[in-house]
Amino acid sequence: MQPQYNMSAGLSSGRNSGSLFGRVDWVALGLYIILVLVGILCITSASYDAEVGSIFSFKHNYMKQIMWAGISSVIALVILLLERRYFHMFAYPAYIVGILLLVACLIFGVKVNGAKAWFEFGSVRIQPAEFVKIATALMMARVMSDYSFSMNRLKDLFKVAGVILLPLLIIVLQNDTGSGLVLCSFLFVCIREGITKYIYFPLIFTVLLFIASFIFTPEAIFTALIILFTIYNILKNGAIIGHIRFLAAIFLAVLLLCILTPLSGYASLMIVCSLAAVILGFVAIKLREMSLLWPIIMFVYAMLFVPTTDFMFSKLKSHQQDRILTYVGIKSDPKGIDYNVNQSLIAIGSGGMFGKGFMEGTQIKYDYVPEKHTDFIFCTVGEEWGFMGTLIVVLLYISLILRLMRMGERIKEPFGRVYCYSVAAILLFHVWVNIGMTIGLMPVMGIPLPLMSYGGSSLVASTILIMIAIRLDASTEDESVYLG
Amino acid sequence: MSRESKGQHRYHVLRYVVILAAVIILGRLFYVQLIDDRYDARAASNIMRSYIEYPMRGEVLDRRGEYLIRSRICYDVMVITRDIPKEGFDSVRLAAILNISMDKLRRELRRAGPNSYTPHLVVGYLSQEAKLIFDESEFKGFYTRFRTAREYPRQVGGNLLGYVSEVRPEDIEKWKYYSAGDYIGIGGVESAYETLLRGEKGVSYRVNDNRGAVKGAYKDGTLDVLPIKGTQLTSTIDARLQEFAEKLMTGKVGAIVAIEPATGEILVMVSSPTYNPDMMVGRQRNTNFLEMTRNQRQPQFTRALKEHYAPGSTFKLVQGLVGLEEGVLHPGDKHPCSRGFTYGVGRNSRTLKCHSHDSPLSLRRAVAESCNAYFCYVFKDIITNPKYGSIKEGMRKWTEYVHSFGFGDRLNCDLYGESKGFVPTTEFYDKGYDGRWNWGTVISCAIGQGEMACTPLQMANLAATIANRGYYYTPHIIKAIEGQDSIDRRFYERHYTMVSARHFETIIDGMWQSVNDDGTSRLAKLEGWDVCGKTGTAEHNRRDANGKRYPDHSTFLTFAPRNNPKIAISVYVEHGGFGSDVAVPIASLIEELYLTDTIKRTEMLNKVLNYEIDYGYYDAKQRKYDKENPKD
Repeated sequence: MQPQYNMSAGLSSGRNSGSLFGRVDWVALGLYIILVLVGILCITSASYDAEVGSIFSFKHNYMKQIMWAGISSVIALVILLLERRYFHMFAYPAYIVGILLLVACLIFGVKVNGAKAWFEFGSVRIQPAEFVKIATALMMARVMSDYSFSMNRLKDLFKVAGVILLPLLIIVLQNDTGSGLVLCSFLFVCIREGITKYIYFPLIFTVLLFIASFIFTPEAIFTALIILFTIYNILKNGAIIGHIRFLAAIFLAVLLLCILTPLSGYASLMIVCSLAAVILGFVAIKLREMSLLWPIIMFVYAMLFVPTTDFMFSKLKSHQQDRILTYVGIKSDPKGIDYNVNQSLIAIGSGGMFGKGFMEGTQIKYDYVPEKHTDFIFCTVGEEWGFMGTLIVVLLYISLILRLMRMGERIKEPFGRVYCYSVAAILLFHVWVNIGMTIGLMPVMGIPLPLMSYGGSSLVASTILIMIAIRLDASTEDESVYLG
Repeated sequence: MSRESKGQHRYHVLRYVVILAAVIILGRLFYVQLIDDRYDARAASNIMRSYIEYPMRGEVLDRRGEYLIRSRICYDVMVITRDIPKEGFDSVRLAAILNISMDKLRRELRRAGPNSYTPHLVVGYLSQEAKLIFDESEFKGFYTRFRTAREYPRQVGGNLLGYVSEVRPEDIEKWKYYSAGDYIGIGGVESAYETLLRGEKGVSYRVNDNRGAVKGAYKDGTLDVLPIKGTQLTSTIDARLQEFAEKLMTGKVGAIVAIEPATGEILVMVSSPTYNPDMMVGRQRNTNFLEMTRNQRQPQFTRALKEHYAPGSTFKLVQGLVGLEEGVLHPGDKHPCSRGFTYGVGRNSRTLKCHSHDSPLSLRRAVAESCNAYFCYVFKDIITNPKYGSIKEGMRKWTEYVHSFGFGDRLNCDLYGESKGFVPTTEFYDKGYDGRWNWGTVISCAIGQGEMACTPLQMANLAATIANRGYYYTPHIIKAIEGQDSIDRRFYERHYTMVSARHFETIIDGMWQSVNDDGTSRLAKLEGWDVCGKTGTAEHNRRDANGKRYPDHSTFLTFAPRNNPKIAISVYVEHGGFGSDVAVPIASLIEELYLTDTIKRTEMLNKVLNYEIDYGYYDAKQRKYDKENPKD
């Protein structure tokens, strides 16, 4: 009988048999290796300094990175050879040790760039937050794969929230907000695991509202929301004419109020909207029309949230205000706070289609790009290899992320799936924020581009993260069964 | 939906989220890298800095081909404090190499400011040898900039040649060419021919890193523009003669101008006191400059072009020529003189004094012996000529004549700053005397006194005009410009006076007699040469505290030889006494050297060199100034 291909189970036939080599996902492993090599190439270009010593001298950053890559490959091999059950077993101790390390770091750590997030052993610095990501991912997988776990049970929700928020808070306390926010990416996993939209939708709505409140005026936001919700209701319930009448009535009322009374436009809008919300709310409850009620609740939430944000913002220190304002594009001063992003944009933007060539990037070579071999390593890709280079690197990352998700899907039991999604989510967050900041889409957060940025902690941690996913994916049915 | 397929559904939705993120990033990259083209220019302007490359300033030769002004390579030492190593540098050694004091080095570093990217000038005029030592030592943060400095082999012509200095803010505002730190010619030849001498600045583009350190040429230097060397000029000045004339004027205040009559070329132009032009080059410049500005004899003042002097008796030549042309005077006319010219009646009667000589005299002798009375009659006859109906019209005609000799206006030579001088006019007297004046009121014009004022250049021009028998070429100081066939057209045009050539011979007879036949200029006699001359003793209004006048100015006009004159000179020595005392021997010695290439009359030379003049006027002025402006 012909073997049956299970489409969702994926490409590798005979996964349940053969040696480890046969079962390892070579695509993911290949993408991993290519990204590390591209990273070393970029670090070489970004930090080569002929004055430092011979090209093989370990004073060069790229030689150090090659050394770390060597260490990583040993670690990778060890992980791939480990039995699957160990990861399951390690989850609790790893998480606890991770939390303890974070706390210890808060007390004994050294400050780098204002964040007390590092341990220093001689010349080697280690950032525990990098490893806590792994521990948290394992912990998430452990908790969510529990046979009694249900995503939308309150007790379990709290458990998940606790697992994420505990390390997050400590990392934020270390003043390393960027690394802390990485843990927010676990929401991605929760969505896959079926968390109710009543949780993630408000969360996402709040984040969007938060960002919008800096970019647009409140009037614009509320007007947009009214129109958006009206369109939503039209799509949901039809009755176009009625909705348009409703819209027209609101705007007419605002207009009249604004002209006939000494009230400002903003006040008029707020008054009319409040009245409309109250009336509509009664109607919705009376008709038991939930599809009408939800937009009203969200709208009222926005009416409370936006002015509060404005108020909180006014309480921030001016340099914090500046940073946020710059990010959302309100303030722009080339020599000021967004200087880094400007220089980064100049480097990438001047790369054009094919770039200036290896070691030929002027902005990189002459130190115009800040942190050029660590957080801004993507500038080297952009300037020296052009759009072709950035396209390929972005595609490599996205392929790796999609591959990890696919691996998660084809693992039949939840532990592996949750873990693979966790890794995909962490990578996605890093890639989005890091590349986003180099091209002005995101504020500067100070998190590295995994696998490519210079730095031992980051490379080793990313390696462990990905290798565990590959190892879990390479498990035989027997192993899974063994897990129970 | 089953649990399984719900999960599959979410998987697909999340895949789209990931893909959407990639699309947003790639869309942004596409825009930044391929659509938005601002970044190329910004990347270039980030790394590229332009540096001015200074050209060698043009050199100036004298008429015999020796260097009047030479350019020498030197270097400015600049610092970018940002690039100085944190651990410091051997400042004692640097100060020693640059030959400056530690104090000066510390002061300049403080002025440059800590951690500054802006280049700051530490010290200029570093010699090529010192630069080699400097380069070997490699002081990080310090570098040199190519410059040229002026050099004067004969060390003559300080206030004639001018000097080179850093541009002032007002120059930068006025002319687009200059930017801060550039050099510009000031005064004399340097400023008159600035646009030719300066050459064209070049520019080089170099790559800088983020700390401002130069990392090499931008685009391999393909965009660089090489500087163009300044044009070489050939001057009309005879450096040897200029040097000699300056030596003769040492210790005296006044001016000498010598012109080649056939061309209008200025052979010598001395404004005394002058200064050694080397004093305006190098590190001592500011000190020297300050010292000079305190000197009340004004070494930087080009008297030859700018000072207003009364021409005195030398002006009688013009008077005689105008009288002859007007027909009111004939060579044989005799006028009496009893130690002066008395005019007016009764209580208003006044006498314009004269020295003792034979009387009456003819025109030739009157010139030779410089009789005041004679020319008073001539002047009176000119302006009261019935032909013009009134004295006012007569005066007007006279002014016109005098103007035709180049008086009363700029000659328009090639140096800047010429004064106009002054020739009195009918309108001037009408205004001054409320319209009520007669020939007696203005009689001092007869002998070049009163309101008459002219520059030494105008007087030399008069000598050249008489030598040429009635015309002159505009005097000029540059005769050839490298790469050009000719100089300005105006220097090739003859300017004729209103007096016809035939009348000049009579006056020249008088001038010849003045030198060679027992006249006032007899000291100017030069064996073997027909020298012509006219002395002058000019009164002025400089009085001491007691109201006593300081000694008169001594002046002399001469040209030689009589036929085909080679040189025409005017010498003016302030407070020199009689024209014959000091101005005559000075002019004569210059003629001797120019015409015979040697000085045989060493006795006369020594007498001139040791001639002491009482400069009570300047000494009093200096004392007053020093009292009011004490040194620090």
